Amino acid sequence: MSTPYVPLESTKIAADYQRDWAKGLRAQITSGAKYAFVNADTPHELFHHMGLPIVTNQWWSAIIAAKQLSEFYFDFMQAAGFHERLARYSSLPLIAELEGDATRQPWGGLPTPSILCARQSADDHQKVFSLWSEKTGAPLALISSPAVPDPQPDWWRLARDDWEALYRSDRLDLMVAEFEALIEQLEELTGTHFDRDTFALYMDRINEQERIYEKAAALIADAPQCPIRISEQIPNVMIPQWHRGSAWAIEHAQRFHDEVAARVAGRTGLVKNERIRMMWIGAGLWFDTGFYSAFEESHGAVFAWSMYLPFAADGYIRENKGDPLRALAARVSAMNEQLHQPPWINSWMVEQAKRFRIDVALMLIPEHDRFSGHGSLFAKQALEAAGIRVIEVWSDMVDQRQWNREEITARIVPELDDLLAEKV
Amino acid sequence: MTSLEAAVSAAAALERASKQQESYSNTASLPRIGVFGNGMPETLIAAAGALPVHVSVGTTEATHPITAVIEPFVDEQVRHFLIRLMNGDFAGLAGIVFARDDAPALIAYQYASEWIRQDREREATPPLFLWNLVHTGTRPAAEFNRTQAEKLFAFLGCAGLARPDDSKLAVAAGAEAERQEALGQLQIAVGVARSGRTAAAWRNAGRFMGAAEHASLLRSALAAPADVLNTTTRIGIVGSPLASPSTYAMIEQFGTVVCDQQNFGQMWPVPGNAKASLKDILAATAADPSCFRITPTSAYRAALVKNLLAARCSLVICQLAQTDDTFGWEIPALFTELAAHNVACINLGFRDAEPDAAWLEHASLTISRALEARK
Ligand code: SF4
Ligand code: SF4
Repeated sequence: MSTPYVPLESTKIAADYQRDWAKGLRAQITSGAKYAFVNADTPHELFHHMGLPIVTNQWWSAIIAAKQLSEFYFDFMQAAGFHERLARYSSLPLIAELEGDATRQPWGGLPTPSILCARQSADDHQKVFSLWSEKTGAPLALISSPAVPDPQPDWWRLARDDWEALYRSDRLDLMVAEFEALIEQLEELTGTHFDRDTFALYMDRINEQERIYEKAAALIADAPQCPIRISEQIPNVMIPQWHRGSAWAIEHAQRFHDEVAARVAGRTGLVKNERIRMMWIGAGLWFDTGFYSAFEESHGAVFAWSMYLPFAADGYIRENKGDPLRALAARVSAMNEQLHQPPWINSWMVEQAKRFRIDVALMLIPEHDRFSGHGSLFAKQALEAAGIRVIEVWSDMVDQRQWNREEITARIVPELDDLLAEKV
Repeated sequence: MTSLEAAVSAAAALERASKQQESYSNTASLPRIGVFGNGMPETLIAAAGALPVHVSVGTTEATHPITAVIEPFVDEQVRHFLIRLMNGDFAGLAGIVFARDDAPALIAYQYASEWIRQDREREATPPLFLWNLVHTGTRPAAEFNRTQAEKLFAFLGCAGLARPDDSKLAVAAGAEAERQEALGQLQIAVGVARSGRTAAAWRNAGRFMGAAEHASLLRSALAAPADVLNTTTRIGIVGSPLASPSTYAMIEQFGTVVCDQQNFGQMWPVPGNAKASLKDILAATAADPSCFRITPTSAYRAALVKNLLAARCSLVICQLAQTDDTFGWEIPALFTELAAHNVACINLGFRDAEPDAAWLEHASLTISRALEARK
């Protein structure tokens, strides 16, 4: 028997912080403060900087799901005439709103937001948010999303400095103009002035935070043995990302980095004898995080990679170059496309797999969420061409009912057995 | 030729074009530019001296290694297009333009470009261009769209076409106005002398020929002997792009499709086509409420309701591609609004591009039961 895995201090600290923060947000919002309801891929930075609290669609969806309400709402959704192939996870908040019984909802329901904001990255975003807007009467700010016609495969090399050339001036011009319009709306709403000087400093702090994560990712990639589980990577990145650029977020990023560094220095590995390194491609498995450690004992197989940590650096660091609003546009303008559009997704996956010395990739492919599934098979082929075994998991992952741990384990085990046999 | 003979021959030409699709234009004297999706004003291509020819309607029985990277949730029209493209079916085109705001077009463009970038197995393929028009009426959007038009002209320039000046644009827009006028006449004849199936076939024939030729064929064909019609019910169609004659035939057992509100129906040609200047063409295309990405977002459903009521539909049929993830959000509110005007709404659910006999039979049963229940 190997020594049991000891969780990081940081993980508990992050969870506690998030709980207190959510409590505070709830108190604020339910006592009548103005707030914005926004999608995950919108410029949160603008809202934060204006001091307008935000509730994020995907976060609120997770809160509803954690209250075991998804099943109820999915049934309601179907009864209301919405078909079962529509994106479900990202529409839970809307469905709860349409259902109307606020007492059932977490926090006794959300009051009417002062503004809604979505980006038109996927076709359904504007439909979901427009129904919200119709139901609540809240104005909807839409950020348009023209595509990049000639996507450079190695985007992450250009995204930090050369973002003007990478994302194209016409697209950035348009997005900055849309940000300006949104800022005007927010100024009116909050009665405060958008301070451009302090905004530049704020954007610098976000870059600083993401650089800390970059170092943490490098530590994990380069360590001879993977020091921590991805179930700990994910919250330690994601929670501070919600609060990016705040003093706490930077402090926490550093705390997490230092803990990882200490484990690497102490040669602490996840397992005694690490033999197989795996990557988890897709959204986090928040309801069965234990799965991530399921093959440690049996095969010396560890999950070393999930997108959240390395994406903090590659997806977020954008040098201000004297124009922080434009740098923000560069961050937002292809945020999810980088994870779903070939050749961006395939080249990045291969680059990451090599950096993290991955043997096996578990690739989650949603069956009905077209937007988040596109490019999956291009990525699969690219990984295989790079010598990585890919196990496809076709699942929408919207709720626990679709997750069949036994079935998936039964497909993974023979691959791992094979790989061990090869390695002897 | 008597005028009746001319009418019959024009009708036959329209039917032929709608079946042969882009190969109908194989003998064209002009260079041809492919178009994938609604939202690309064909006027701009025609004004540059090319023949715009749609490439997204066709299906194929063939296969190609590219299917290994096409996930099952990718739209059927994209799958067929990619196979045909890589098999060299479009090698005769001088280029293909993809309308970004038409969802399948973006994916078709991205998958095709990536396959070509990786230099994977394929026959000759023409250069590809992504047409990024933003469907919003703001000034920055207008500037952005203007830049896209310049990029399009540069792309067409690489294909040896001249940048159109104002007079060329006006001529092309004039032909589009004629087409619009002829399509208006056709729509008036629907339910009187023409079925919805005929109207759709004749309208879509225009995707494979010039606007002037289309207008002239339509004008003559209108004098052809009338279709046998069932005029008991005025029917509207909404939902995913539908180009299946057998599905029209099934639906028209119950009446006539007088209002065809889906991308392969009356949503094409886009309203900007007949405007006389570049600025107006772009503005009107951007304001087209039939685009899922239109701002304000309420414009899409509002236009559907307005058109269906204006056409005095008493029955609206909704049908969905297997991959629909967008139109479905409109259905409950659309049905509620229509019901308030005493319009019956039936959702036939998911179907293939060419539904099989079992689906058609089931759909037919669903409709007759629903109508029965309403009596
Ligand atoms: S399309 Fe994908 S990214 Fe967008 S809301 Fe739905 S699940 Fe999220
Ligand atoms: S990973 Fe993709 S699907 Fe998930 S939230 Fe991000 S962009 Fe959306």
